[in-house]
Amino acid sequence: MKFLVVDDSSTMRRIVVNSLQRIGFTETVEAGDGKEALEKFDASVRFVITDWNMPNMTGTEFARALRDRGEQVPILMVTARSVREDIIEAMEAGVNNYIVKPFTPQILKEKIDALLSVAAAG
Amino acid sequence: MDARQGLLYDTHAALRLVDHELSAFAPAAPSDPAADASTRPMPGLEHPAATHLRALLLQPHGEPVGLAALPFILERANQEIQAVLANLRDSRTALETATVEKIQHTSEKLREVTSATEVAATDILDALDRAQGMIDDLDAADAADDKPAAQQTRDRLREEIFGMMGCLQFQDITTQQLAYAASVLTDMETRLLQIAKLFDPATVMVRAASDAPDPRTFDPRATTRDAEVRQALADAIFTG
Repeated sequence: MKFLVVDDSSTMRRIVVNSLQRIGFTETVEAGDGKEALEKFDASVRFVITDWNMPNMTGTEFARALRDRGEQVPILMVTARSVREDIIEAMEAGVNNYIVKPFTPQILKEKIDALLSVAAAG
Repeated sequence: MDARQGLLYDTHAALRLVDHELSAFAPAAPSDPAADASTRPMPGLEHPAATHLRALLLQPHGEPVGLAALPFILERANQEIQAVLANLRDSRTALETATVEKIQHTSEKLREVTSATEVAATDILDALDRAQGMIDDLDAADAADDKPAAQQTRDRLREEIFGMMGCLQFQDITTQQLAYAASVLTDMETRLLQIAKLFDPATVMVRAASDAPDPRTFDPRATTRDAEVRQALADAIFTG
């Protein structure tokens, strides 16, 4: 299963990719912002993990763009933003679940498992 | 800034402006035409009031007037200084209103950067200490040829190293906090330069707005604190 990891911080991309490998997902593709992510997104991507604050195109803009294209891929947002209005805005943009930074690998695994279960059931 | 500092600031600024205004009003020494040319303000850059007063100081043939004109000149200078002081007070109020809260928030964020860096460094050092102990355990297991114990220790060591990587998340958050601080400083610099330009049109705007961090790349409220509480809020919203 291929994961698209989107974050303007290379440190964070590395941490997320390492965490994914740790829980058994070894196929990943990385992007530094939403615009690059849109370019790299294709049918082989089965899961998206995206930051919010990024140059050129933010995570919510990227999520909206994917949904506008009719993509149903699970989108997990991993961000430092954590006020109620932001979380609701992410949900309205089409994000399926939300992780607040700094996060633990356990939380990441829980959210991925939950979203994959929903996707499998749907 | 407390009231005493504010008063000192006003006084200092006022004295500098008075000094500037008086310099502009003073006619150059007639005995030194070269100095006259070099000290006279550039055309177009002189304050309009200074130009007016300079005209008052000169007769049609360029000779200074007598003492009879002095009270009028001082009265006019006083009015100019009062106007400048009023402008200064307005500017200070505008600056305070717009930036004091931001500066306080910025100070708080900068303290948080220091704290987050220290916490992460301490966590990583603690993990390194534990990893060192595990390597000793591995040596002991090897010496005793205890393979299950060695395997268990290796697994723990992998977890420890993985945990150290997680500690480095502070870097992303402190980057956002520093970007916010930089944006506030850039904003303040722009405002101060605009105010300086009011009093001296020759002031050069040295920094372009494009030098400021892109506001899309950081969250002014980014923090390493209370992650569990914030995650619980997100979970509550997403699970409805």
